[in-house]
Amino acid sequence: MAVETITDGGILYGLIAVGAGLATGLAGIGAGVGEQGIGAAVVGVVAEEPGFLGKGLFLMLLPETLIIFGLAVSLILMFAWTPFLV
Amino acid sequence: MPVLRLPKFGKPVKYAYITGRVRAMKTKLIPGEMYQRMMAMDVSEIARYLEETQYKDEIDTLSKDYSGTELIEHATFANLAKIYGKLLAVSIDEPSFLILEYLRRWDIWNIKTILRGKFYGADETEIAKYLVPAGELNMEYLSELAKKESIQEVISALEGSDLAPALANYDGKSLAPIENALDKLYYFRMERAVGGTLSVGGGLLLKYVRKEIDIKNLITLFRMNKAGVEASIIQENLIPGGKLYEDLNRLAGQPFGEFLRSLEGYPFWSSISDIATPDIEAISRVEARLKAYLIRYAWALSNYHPLSILPVLGYMVSKETEVSNIRKIVRGKEAGLPAELIEEQVVVA
Repeated sequence: MAVETITDGGILYGLIAVGAGLATGLAGIGAGVGEQGIGAAVVGVVAEEPGFLGKGLFLMLLPETLIIFGLAVSLILMFAWTPFLV
Repeated sequence: MPVLRLPKFGKPVKYAYITGRVRAMKTKLIPGEMYQRMMAMDVSEIARYLEETQYKDEIDTLSKDYSGTELIEHATFANLAKIYGKLLAVSIDEPSFLILEYLRRWDIWNIKTILRGKFYGADETEIAKYLVPAGELNMEYLSELAKKESIQEVISALEGSDLAPALANYDGKSLAPIENALDKLYYFRMERAVGGTLSVGGGLLLKYVRKEIDIKNLITLFRMNKAGVEASIIQENLIPGGKLYEDLNRLAGQPFGEFLRSLEGYPFWSSISDIATPDIEAISRVEARLKAYLIRYAWALSNYHPLSILPVLGYMVSKETEVSNIRKIVRGKEAGLPAELIEEQVVVA
């Protein structure tokens, strides 16, 4: 049975993968926290003024851009950096 | 009955829905400049105008039974009760608790109305006109109370309730002492239920309520000092709990000119400084200005705490003022008062 050794490159690759996961995951949690208040407020306003739905949805989706930043960082980590490192 | 205490910490996000909703509801309030135009209309035109606003449902439903001034009076109170009921229905948890604590003033209002009605021998239908079931006591319960024969029977029906201690010392001659005691009980009860907890929302509600007590006491002082009432009698009528209670207590019984000079420098002074002169005739003008100041205060405070009970409070106060403005205009028109006199009474923040 072949003994597998953990190389420095392997540890690095693993840490990068964890970092990529955290980047998207934490951004998602942050956006969720931001959206809970906005979402509740938008539903409140739309209940009174149905015409506000379009604007409200736009405002509600603003924190969603945070996830895109997180996702972009994850993609860079996973695909743009790793080939040079390992 | 023990007073319920505010249960737990409040998170601002709990207020997101209700504050979003009341801010949208605020846009439907009648704008300040409209009161000017309403003063130029006759009562049926005002009713028609109200039919285009949020009072439509009430005007439509009640127009079968009433017309003219009566229709507007009924419709405005019915709408007020509906809106307050809606605020309670769409809120949960801490906002709901605080809104109900605030709305208990309508329970006090209704009990006072029933007692006054009985005092002057009005029948139950006459009393029912002025009831606003916006608090905890519903219309069925209040109608049952209104059916009682005498004040004593109303008081004994309320035995065992929160209000009993205030009603206990009715002397059979005048309602003023128990009305005063009911007001004091309301504020005392609110302080007990809301104060002393770690909830931010409760603290903000009390901050506004303290200001409200100050303004009420100030109006009492204006009226009684102007009439030259004795200091000890005025002090009995002041409600404890306000931020300026000690200061205002000291001002009781002062000669009117001196009293006005002592008020200079307080935050509310700038809103009344131009009309509060020693020879002022109508204290109601000062009263209207001070009420407008209180509404502005509630909204200004809510800008500092956008996700809190304050926007809801601001809305509730604005709505109540709107209803009382409409009623003042309509009543004034019916009594044939000149437009300037009505205008002085209308509160525009």
